[in-house]
Amino acid sequence: MDEYKKSFQNFFHLPSLTNIYRLLLTIIAVWFLSIIWPFISNVVLMLVFAFLFTTVLLSSVDALERKIGNRALSVLAVVIILLGGIGAFLGSFISQMSQQAAEFSSRIDKETLTQEFKTLGDKFTSAMPDFLQNMQPSNGDAAVKLSELINTIVGSLASMAGAIGNFMFIATMVFIFTIILLAEYHGFRKSLVNAIPNKYFEVGIKLIYNIEKSVSSYLRGQFLSAASVAAMSIAGLLLLNLFGANLTLTIFIGIIAGLANLIPLVGPFVGMIPAILIAFMNNIGSETAMAHTLFGVVPSPFYLLDIVLMFLIVQQIEGNLITPALVGKSVGLHPIVVMIALLIGGTILGPLGMLFAVPATGVLKVVLTEIAFVRKNAHLL
Amino acid sequence: MKSAKWENIFKGWNRSESETVLTLKQVPVFKDFSDKEFSELEKMMHHRTFGAGDFVFKNRAPGEGMYIIMHGTVKITVGTRAGNENILAELGVGDFFGELALFDDEPRSANAIATIDTELLGFFTQDLMTLQERNPVLGQKILFNLGGVLGERLRGTNNLLIQVQNKKED
Repeated sequence: MDEYKKSFQNFFHLPSLTNIYRLLLTIIAVWFLSIIWPFISNVVLMLVFAFLFTTVLLSSVDALERKIGNRALSVLAVVIILLGGIGAFLGSFISQMSQQAAEFSSRIDKETLTQEFKTLGDKFTSAMPDFLQNMQPSNGDAAVKLSELINTIVGSLASMAGAIGNFMFIATMVFIFTIILLAEYHGFRKSLVNAIPNKYFEVGIKLIYNIEKSVSSYLRGQFLSAASVAAMSIAGLLLLNLFGANLTLTIFIGIIAGLANLIPLVGPFVGMIPAILIAFMNNIGSETAMAHTLFGVVPSPFYLLDIVLMFLIVQQIEGNLITPALVGKSVGLHPIVVMIALLIGGTILGPLGMLFAVPATGVLKVVLTEIAFVRKNAHLL
Repeated sequence: MKSAKWENIFKGWNRSESETVLTLKQVPVFKDFSDKEFSELEKMMHHRTFGAGDFVFKNRAPGEGMYIIMHGTVKITVGTRAGNENILAELGVGDFFGELALFDDEPRSANAIATIDTELLGFFTQDLMTLQERNPVLGQKILFNLGGVLGERLRGTNNLLIQVQNKKED
């Protein structure tokens, strides 16, 4: 009878009752997740951040623990060094930035600034082709619009304070989670491994190892490429200074460009912004900078085009030479998959989602590969 | 009254060797290890329990590493249990098996079945790789000892082959 039922199902391709139950359970699980997601998304985000930080810091903590023989002290030492580094960077950046701002405001009065913007706007408009010029609104005074924009920004400072408070809370929680994960990582991992049933044990342990390897190789790749972008950007900015670009805070701009480079596709363009702002702030009022031309042909007021070109060259060198040579294809995803992942990540979690979209997809790929392997060898387990 | 706080602070002082370390000390792959090395190795071991008749692994299944018997017995067989089962070896406490899987991606060449309730220590390729990264000296020692064990087994197989050939010639 059973055989008859089976052949009947096979003939008509009918799903068995178990498959229907499985499908129903999946639908209920997805529905439940979609309901609770708004409440847990922040916590999930914090845990993902903490896990990534743990992956980065784990080898240092392990190495120190082997030397001094105490896990808690090793975690403490690594965290203090990290916080000290971040604090020193931010502190020195903020102090230098405020110095720069003070100098800028003492040098410039409102009329000059408006005039400079107007000249810059006119220059850009005149450089545009005719049909684009016609599209400009006749009363489009760039300087007025800019001052309106500045007013709006100042007005929204209060809401920014709230956002900063929220960020501080998330950062503190991530910090606490990271410390706990660093201290207990091997214990957590062992508990997870112990929970795998005997039948799937060897496959499970391989899966966990492959996920760890995939995430850490991705992170290592990202940090190497960020460091190379930072170093090349600093070198490029110093080179531009030789040609009279008068750029300051080069080290900070380079580091920010390197960090921004961690976000694929969008990051490299975000990295250019501080350099462009500094070039503008430092060169405002200077006739030579205003009349500067790139290669003596293309008008490039305040060295703006030079900076953009320099960053584009840096990105090409990083993307086509350094990253493939140093880390290879760390996650091994097709570019189209990367773009789709970025779009989905960006839609769900914004810029942070974009940052994690690629490693998360890499992990998903590892999991799916292992599941396919288990299904293929299921009769042997 | 004993204070839990003081007990925790002095936890680990005068600690006697654990059962895991005592089992590991019987395995030739870990010979000449220091106490510190044994304690590091102990942290990496996976404890697995199997009921009587449970498969530890099946012939042709993908293999990831070796097992050391802590309690119980394991038989290594080829063929199915239905009738043509051929027992290659019966192993007891301190014996180890499956070590070839540490080196290659080949599937298992035999079944391993627990004959009574058994506790095993698992040590896998991934653990060996992690050890190579975290403590290369210890990883090197294990690889060297494993090479010695495999060489010894190869020599034994060669002797058996020579004996069979000699018998054939006679």
